[in-house]
Amino acid sequence: MVAFEPTSLSSSELQLQAEVRAFLEEEYPGRRLEHYFDDHGGHDRAFSRKLAQRGWIGMALPKRYGGQERGAVERFIVAEELIRWGAPCGFHWVADRQSAQNILRFGTEEQKHRFLPAISRGELSFSIGMSEPDAGSDLASVRTKATHVPGGWSITGTKVWTTSAHENDWFIALCRTSQEEDRHQGLTQFLIDLRSPGLEVHPIPFLDGTFHFNEVVLNEVFVPDDLVLGEVGHGWEQTGSELSYERSGPERWLSTYAVLEALLSSGTGLPEIGVEVVGSLVARYWGIRNLSLTVARMIDRGQAPALHAALVKDMGTRFEQDVLVRIQQVVTVEPSLDAPSLFERLLARSILTAPAFTIRGGTTEILRSVASKGLRP
Amino acid sequence: MSADPLVLSTARDLFAAYATPSAVQAAEAAGWAPELWDALVETGLPWVGLPDEGGTLEDAFEVLRLAGRFAVPLPLAETMLAGWLVSSVGLPVGREPLTVAPPAFREPTAPSVAQGAQDLWASMGSAPRPSAAAGVSLAQGKLHGRVERVPWASHAGRIVLLVPDRSRRMVATVRPLDVRPERLTNLAGEPRETIILDGVTPDELAPVPAGLDEDALRLRGALTRATLMAGALERMSELTIEYTNQRRQFGRPVAAFQAVQIHVVNGAQDAALATMAAQQATAAAQSGATNAAFEIGSAKLLASEAAHSATRAAHQAHGAMGMTQDYALHHFSRRLWSWRAEYGDERYWSARLGRAVTAAPPERLYPAITAGSGVLEHV
Repeated sequence: MVAFEPTSLSSSELQLQAEVRAFLEEEYPGRRLEHYFDDHGGHDRAFSRKLAQRGWIGMALPKRYGGQERGAVERFIVAEELIRWGAPCGFHWVADRQSAQNILRFGTEEQKHRFLPAISRGELSFSIGMSEPDAGSDLASVRTKATHVPGGWSITGTKVWTTSAHENDWFIALCRTSQEEDRHQGLTQFLIDLRSPGLEVHPIPFLDGTFHFNEVVLNEVFVPDDLVLGEVGHGWEQTGSELSYERSGPERWLSTYAVLEALLSSGTGLPEIGVEVVGSLVARYWGIRNLSLTVARMIDRGQAPALHAALVKDMGTRFEQDVLVRIQQVVTVEPSLDAPSLFERLLARSILTAPAFTIRGGTTEILRSVASKGLRP
Repeated sequence: MSADPLVLSTARDLFAAYATPSAVQAAEAAGWAPELWDALVETGLPWVGLPDEGGTLEDAFEVLRLAGRFAVPLPLAETMLAGWLVSSVGLPVGREPLTVAPPAFREPTAPSVAQGAQDLWASMGSAPRPSAAAGVSLAQGKLHGRVERVPWASHAGRIVLLVPDRSRRMVATVRPLDVRPERLTNLAGEPRETIILDGVTPDELAPVPAGLDEDALRLRGALTRATLMAGALERMSELTIEYTNQRRQFGRPVAAFQAVQIHVVNGAQDAALATMAAQQATAAAQSGATNAAFEIGSAKLLASEAAHSATRAAHQAHGAMGMTQDYALHHFSRRLWSWRAEYGDERYWSARLGRAVTAAPPERLYPAITAGSGVLEHV
């Protein structure tokens, strides 16, 4: 039996929660929830800087790298408030959630000093360079090839579904550096400047008509040796750890929360069955939040909750989709992206983007496979 | 959570010895498990957490979760609930099995619904009606009425009732012989009897202190069911994991097939969610800062919802083996189907939570999700 030990917030953690709420109340008086969190609320460099000034980016990083040494639970507290407000976090989200952690774990001292303080100041943004046209869930089949040349590497290949590559600064790309018997060997992670010569970013229009998805084409892009992240040939293990722990945070169960709050704010009368649906959804938010919080607490205790995180991510992302289904079953509405009502606009955008929830960050099928192995007696 | 490890190991050892699947099966046929009951009396587990008995509420509910994991076929939850009622009015707890007449659940209680929800409700033409007590009244010192689905009524030393008496409430106890229980069983074959009181003089009668009312009993009862269900869901998940890794088809353990992994994972998720919710609800109840209605209602609701999905997943993963009485799965699935409806089903708790949430300003929705009854007081 997989155990999730209940935890609750300490008084200093509750204090942080109150600070974040007060800050957002001031930033967004009247609680405009127009921002929708599917693309992390959109890019807003200035907003990310403001968060950084309060010490809310790179919170879990050591102080010597510009962090606050505050841990996963405190990061969780900040994240859930930002998400439920729909605050624009696209600029720093990936850098804060995983790139910084990845650099901290596997980077050289020089890389840590170069990247981590800038991330913590809200000045450096990152994208993820894992998927390729022929490598999705099966990441070991990446074909983007890095060849050693004097002083560094020459990289050629194509990455896809790269969120915000057109406006972010760097990405961490998983590339093949050698052919090995075991195809999980011979992969390496590289820190790549998205403005490097030979690198092109092409937009891929998203289902809802927005443009944050990209194809990144690398044509003999030169990456110096000092931008290899971690060990050459060990990219597979590094990517695995990058995906595992941070995958069950609040963005995995709160993506459609704004729709529910907008419904309750809209003055739309709810039939009795609708009131029951609201009650049922709120109970599940409460339950899943407690599980997700426990994963953060386990990370802070130095545990490795990969199984727990997979269970919560799968449960949470399916729940995000269920929220939309259950609302539509009890509210008579024909949603439009350009509807006058905020509730209807948010619902429309959510319906169009919800299929992605159970695909990005590890598909439901992959998560179940990971979880079921972890559950073996 | 920090339940006493000695209490937990005592309970675990006792259940492992006396609540084996075959003993549970035998108890269903015989209607009682005398050796298990004697062992419970010897260890004092049914009275853990009561005044002068030692232990905490948390200890008691962790024992109950273990009881759910072993499908304990006795009124342990009832004896705990009844012990809480009689001890809070100063009546002796005794060392006999007790049971409680469940309060009415058909309509949520009007007084606990905030005015906004009342207005919303009234505007839709279906304001909630104040609930009747369990259909029992006290007149000239005699009890009249009828209560359905009293667990193990004929096996209990005393049946405990919460009854209105003019402006106050009383705890009354009666003997099973005085109320002629009508035999009826739940889906797990456990007694859920109808009792008819036609002018019965209570054995004991005592006024309750402030704050102890039908709703307090509803909440405490719902917490017992949420906790038993969490334990049963955990054990059902374990059985599913064990079975799907042992059972081989097409030359492989069936757990190797993605289609089967769905059932294994969903069962583990339901169990994790129900256990987390029940333990958080117990912690909220133990802190005493609020009535913990948000947490308890949510925990019972999540457990009841899981009773559908988790039993379906576990049975599907077990194939025909799960359909026999020779294999233990049915001890858990049948109890989950029964407990689902007791002390408030999904509709009851979702309506109650939903009314409280929709009556509060929308900006309190998220604070309620993070702080529960600390923010949403009138669930």
